[in-house]
Amino acid sequence: MNKLTSRCLALAFCLMFCNLSQAQNNAYESKGFELQPFSQDAFTALKQQKLGVRWLMVVWSLDCPACFKELKLIQTLQKANPNKRFEVIYINADDSNEVEFERKQVLAVYGMQNVENFYFVDGQADKSRYQIDPNWYGELPRSYFVDEQGVFHGKSGLLDEVLISKWLLDK
Amino acid sequence: MVVVVSVISWLPTSQAMTGEHDHQAMMAKQEKPKPDNKCKNAAIECAKTVTSAFAPNGDLWRLWVSQERLIAQISQDNGATFLKHKVLPIPAEKISARNENRPKIAFDNTGGVYLSWAMAREKKYTADVRFSYSRDYGKTFTKPITVNNDNLLAGHSFNEMLVSDNGDVSIVWLDGRIAHQLRKQGKQSKGSALFLAKANFKNANSNKTAVFTNQQLANDTCVCCRIAMDFNQHGELAILWRHIYGDNIREFALLTLNQNEDKPKQPYQISYDHWKINGCPHQGGAISVDKLNRYHMVWFNQGDVGKGIFYASSSDEGKTLTTPISVGELSAQASHPHLNKNNDNIDIVWTQFNGIEHQLMHQRSIDNGKTFSQAAVLAKAKNGSDRPFIIKKENVSYVSWQRPKQGHWIEAL
Repeated sequence: MNKLTSRCLALAFCLMFCNLSQAQNNAYESKGFELQPFSQDAFTALKQQKLGVRWLMVVWSLDCPACFKELKLIQTLQKANPNKRFEVIYINADDSNEVEFERKQVLAVYGMQNVENFYFVDGQADKSRYQIDPNWYGELPRSYFVDEQGVFHGKSGLLDEVLISKWLLDK
Repeated sequence: MVVVVSVISWLPTSQAMTGEHDHQAMMAKQEKPKPDNKCKNAAIECAKTVTSAFAPNGDLWRLWVSQERLIAQISQDNGATFLKHKVLPIPAEKISARNENRPKIAFDNTGGVYLSWAMAREKKYTADVRFSYSRDYGKTFTKPITVNNDNLLAGHSFNEMLVSDNGDVSIVWLDGRIAHQLRKQGKQSKGSALFLAKANFKNANSNKTAVFTNQQLANDTCVCCRIAMDFNQHGELAILWRHIYGDNIREFALLTLNQNEDKPKQPYQISYDHWKINGCPHQGGAISVDKLNRYHMVWFNQGDVGKGIFYASSSDEGKTLTTPISVGELSAQASHPHLNKNNDNIDIVWTQFNGIEHQLMHQRSIDNGKTFSQAAVLAKAKNGSDRPFIIKKENVSYVSWQRPKQGHWIEAL
């Protein structure tokens, strides 16, 4: 089955069960999406690219129920503010090749597949964590509020909705 | 048609948006991830976690998971060399073997081998605690049974197991049945509950006659940190876990089970580091009880009051505690401590990370925990690090440390 046939089938099937916009979205998803492996170089480039912008970096894991609450919280806020640009970067902290599929499933469920996503490379969780913040000990969720000057303010645990709104929406 | 199935299951349906756990139900229908070809041979280097223990005959067993199967390997020279590894004759299932959550192995004094693990279920954050027993030193195993008796699609994991010489099995785990029921009623829950199961398969007439009891020991526990337990000098279980006090203050708690009285003993708060976090620390503690019934404990916190690894002991089952001693170099990412009391030695191991490699650290006290020797590096890891554990063979303590893609390290202290 070639790619075009696959997409047509997917689109046709979806049309039977969902509205057009969903079908379009999911036809897009069927192309798949790639996450970027986290590295020191990628992190440096990201920080450089975001200079002048206030953004939020969320580190999450499959083994962290509170992380899912945070992803849901951000998704809900995004839906409530469709015309606002949400400057959020997600990093999955599960450094295992075995979870490659599962992490993508989660990203799709929380509508995060079209934003910038990173993941910790297999066996590199502690190294990547250290590159982000040597004073972070792996507790999750871990979020960084990054200001326009590129200064990181780290916070562990589930974020408060008001705090996220204030940082991302009240600019 | 694989693409179609995939698209349907990826739909952000209303069901998926109803709660943080619900997305897993639809994920279960999706295609399975491709296995890592490099690790098809079940080599221990591919394992993220390894569990080790000495059998009463002096054999060292190590246990890991590959392709949903339990793999075991025996050393008859304390880890210097190992016999060929063996895929245990237990059907494949989704065995959790990551970070704080991994299979356990224990023995009785007549060749019984006991295994317990958490088996992930079809919905995110749901699992069952499983158990299998071998009467013939690992040649055959009983069909695995589920230890938790609530029959609910809820969380049951982070199992720890102790087995007495005569085969009394004690398994503790973090149980989500109360939280599950509360959620169904639209109420909020605060963490998990601590449960205990007991059974004796060795003395049962047939394997089928033994049934695990289920007893709730505590509620409002942290949901993602391993439990620690040891027998005290009265043969009672001493259990150390991370509890949730007040508004998400994550501190360690200790409970000693009194088997001879109806009235349960009082649980005690052990740490007062004031780590307030609505999240997952992913760091449990360790406990070892000495011959004078002094409880030695170690834990990790990142609180306003205390940060890092701490050691303390108690001569009255946790009612009072020595002043906690800081262990390791906080700025070097000192974490994941484990300890053991053996004869006059209290050994503590933990890991540190310098940005490039992990270091397995060790320090010893020979004066009952009043002072400790200077910390020393025992080994290094280049590709990540499992938690280190101290295991005991008579009067000698050994450290077991899995180093993914590098090799399992085990040596006498």
